[in-house]
Amino acid sequence: MNTKKLTTLALYATLSLAVYAAESALPPLAPIPGLKLGLANIVTQILLRRGSPKDASLVLAVRILLSALLFGQAMSLLYSLAGGFLSLLVMWPVNRLLSGKYAPLTGAMGGLAHNVGQLATALIVTATPGVLSYLPFLAPAGILTGLFTGLCAQLADRYLPRRPL
Amino acid sequence: MRSAPRKRKITAILIGLFLSLVTAACALYLLSVRTASSGCIAEIYQNGRLIRTIALYQVQEPYTIEIHGEGGCVNRIEVRPGSIGVTWADCPDRLCVRQGFVRSPAIPVTCLPNKLVITLRAADPIRSAGPDMITY
Repeated sequence: MNTKKLTTLALYATLSLAVYAAESALPPLAPIPGLKLGLANIVTQILLRRGSPKDASLVLAVRILLSALLFGQAMSLLYSLAGGFLSLLVMWPVNRLLSGKYAPLTGAMGGLAHNVGQLATALIVTATPGVLSYLPFLAPAGILTGLFTGLCAQLADRYLPRRPL
Repeated sequence: MRSAPRKRKITAILIGLFLSLVTAACALYLLSVRTASSGCIAEIYQNGRLIRTIALYQVQEPYTIEIHGEGGCVNRIEVRPGSIGVTWADCPDRLCVRQGFVRSPAIPVTCLPNKLVITLRAADPIRSAGPDMITY
């Protein structure tokens, strides 16, 4: 990795960390654990569109580690990692299949995968099947917020200065 | 041989259909969750172990209980006639307190940092108090 690419990716990581920090300052949307807009996912989606899955996962890993160090507890690290990487794992082929078109759909699939991954982690951590009753709330919420972040990613991709990665 | 944009469109429609199906299934499930007219039984789980069962429909006066977990974490739970909720906790985000009081089996109260889950299930007094079987 050359210096230019390293710097660009570091900038993206900073951007996503800033977005994450701004979002955590907002009051929670609903009193359901795991329900949030997921604005930092916009940066992941921009990188999937502009760079490679490798770039996206690098920035995602840096953002999750830093945000856990700066704002969170050890527990939130686990949830973010499971949700974030499952989401990336789903968005990558979807984005490829759609060749970058219909971005909200990619986002929605990612949002759904994120919440499913998080809930699966909660299921393992708490060992209580009762947490699955959040699924009917979290699945549509992930789809909805994903549609929104996908749209944001598409618009941001259009207007952010285009520099080769 | 189909053209690429057309193939893409079909993929997009399929994904859209899948997402609508998931949403519809969740909505249907939430609508069908039995509303507990006969009252609820609360089950308190810690680390996946059922540690307490409270018949909420039998509660006359509100009272509080404290659940102590590993590492000294504490959740103070208030039991009211027909509902239950966490009123105080030492977890970092207090999301369990913000969830308020629940009275339906549709949604549990969870404190993820303290690995505490309170789920409700509909009590069925007719089945438990009535005869086991009737034959004619």
